[in-house]
Amino acid sequence: MDGVIVWTLRLPRVVLAVLAGMALALAGALMQRALRNPLAVPSILGVSDGAALGVVTFLWLFSNESNALTVSVHWLPVAAILGACGLAALIAILALQDPRPNDPLRLILYGVAMSALAKAAVTLMMIIGPVYRAGQALRWLTGSVNAAHWSDVAVVGGGLFIAVPVLIMARLPLNQITLDAASAQSTGLAVNRSRVALLILSVLLTALAVSQVGAIGFVGLIAPQAARLYYGQFTLGYLVVTALIGGLLVLTADTVARMILYPLELPAGALTALLGAPLFLTLLTRRQNVQS
Amino acid sequence: MSKVETLATLSEVTATYNDAPALHKVDLDLPEGKIIAFCGPNGSGKSTALRVLRGLHSPVQGAVSVAGRHVSEWNPRDLAREVAMLSQSPQAPEDMTVYDLALLGRYSHRGRFAALTDTDRNAVDRALAATNMTGIATRTLGQLSGGQIQRAWIAMVLAQEAPHIFLDEPTNHLDIAHALDILDLVTRLNRENGHGFVIVLHDLNLAMRYADHVVLFDDGRIAGEGPTQDVLREEAIRTVFEIDCRIITLPDIDRPVIVPLKRCELSAICAAE
Repeated sequence: MDGVIVWTLRLPRVVLAVLAGMALALAGALMQRALRNPLAVPSILGVSDGAALGVVTFLWLFSNESNALTVSVHWLPVAAILGACGLAALIAILALQDPRPNDPLRLILYGVAMSALAKAAVTLMMIIGPVYRAGQALRWLTGSVNAAHWSDVAVVGGGLFIAVPVLIMARLPLNQITLDAASAQSTGLAVNRSRVALLILSVLLTALAVSQVGAIGFVGLIAPQAARLYYGQFTLGYLVVTALIGGLLVLTADTVARMILYPLELPAGALTALLGAPLFLTLLTRRQNVQS
Repeated sequence: MSKVETLATLSEVTATYNDAPALHKVDLDLPEGKIIAFCGPNGSGKSTALRVLRGLHSPVQGAVSVAGRHVSEWNPRDLAREVAMLSQSPQAPEDMTVYDLALLGRYSHRGRFAALTDTDRNAVDRALAATNMTGIATRTLGQLSGGQIQRAWIAMVLAQEAPHIFLDEPTNHLDIAHALDILDLVTRLNRENGHGFVIVLHDLNLAMRYADHVVLFDDGRIAGEGPTQDVLREEAIRTVFEIDCRIITLPDIDRPVIVPLKRCELSAICAAE
């Protein structure tokens, strides 16, 4: 009996927290690299909120009166991916027409604006929609790993399974892309292609994680920064350490969130935000690149 | 001897930079195997021309070929093995070491899965030695002075071991001793290893002293092109830079020096034209 509880209730929750943390952390590291901006991570730019919007829209469209889905729940990650990609595309369009493309903070501002828009849309949907949908949707607002199944684990695990060989193949471009575009291109990197590939992978990992655990924010900001500080950022080990820290972070946040106010469960995202927001402010005031 | 080798060609190239016109219908043939200096006032189009030649900036109109092929036909890796370039304000993370930066110069030579080879390590070691950076190779860029950072970048460009090297104001941020070091290194690489250089140089006297060939830019057009001493003449400098100067020969050095005197009057320019 204990075995059943561990196997069907506790273990999937633990594994899902770790894998989702890994996916969110890697997504953050890849986006920072691709955009050469330590603040540019999926939860700051609103990509996570885009994914959450996709999920809530999905629940809104495909739930019936008795709170059951009218289509298979396996479509939910697809909805998250569509939402995340839609939001990423909007930011890309805004960034590409920017009159001052070299100012790294402008991209962040576009992200903040889009993120606010997605959050507003989610809130609006919850208010104008029937109450029973609001309860489901609330889970994605700040993120929480409760009610995990092995099928949820498989979705996030699958995303990581695709990401690992791609990242091993991309280990040299990942370093090359830390240079400014002209230098990276002059040394032989196809800059735009690499950038787009990394961004797509980052958005995909974010969407898969968010579709299963909700928009747990700041993991993609905290984990790469900690790995960079304590390990260094120019070998493949950096991504491994980043993923491990991300996994540990979400697992810890989820565990603490469950126990601290027992029997009430806090959303795990509230705890990561508590850690992430001060770090964001610290990074905002720090210089990252040397210019000759 | 009958065939003149060409490093790069611009034909009828028009380009803009930040929406402002930068080059206007420029035709240019750059000879192979020489030290070529691009000179001209600020905003005259010399940097844009270099970026267009390296395929970093697309012209609005016209054809560009470099190292024997149209620039758009090159894939980035193959072109990087032919032409290296140091841009004007390169950027790298401050926690990167000098050695790791130089290693990034090897990108176009490294296989996707292959580990670092001895060839890569030797190229990096040579580049660090040539730029006098071996002793501080393990320092991070954040720990270096402006001049050391510039030399670290030059080490990266040398590690690329391309037969042609483009440098956009490589003596920026360098004191005169280090500036001479870099240009002496350029001369040595050119004379001993046959590397061809195209260098954007602000300092006319450095161009006069080190360049074999000068292209003089003026307001997006080419005001003069050819062997250094044929191009850098008092009249040409007066028209392009709007200064009066004397070019004098000193007894014990082979190249003359340019002595700027004063900004010339508008009427003087008109008189010269």
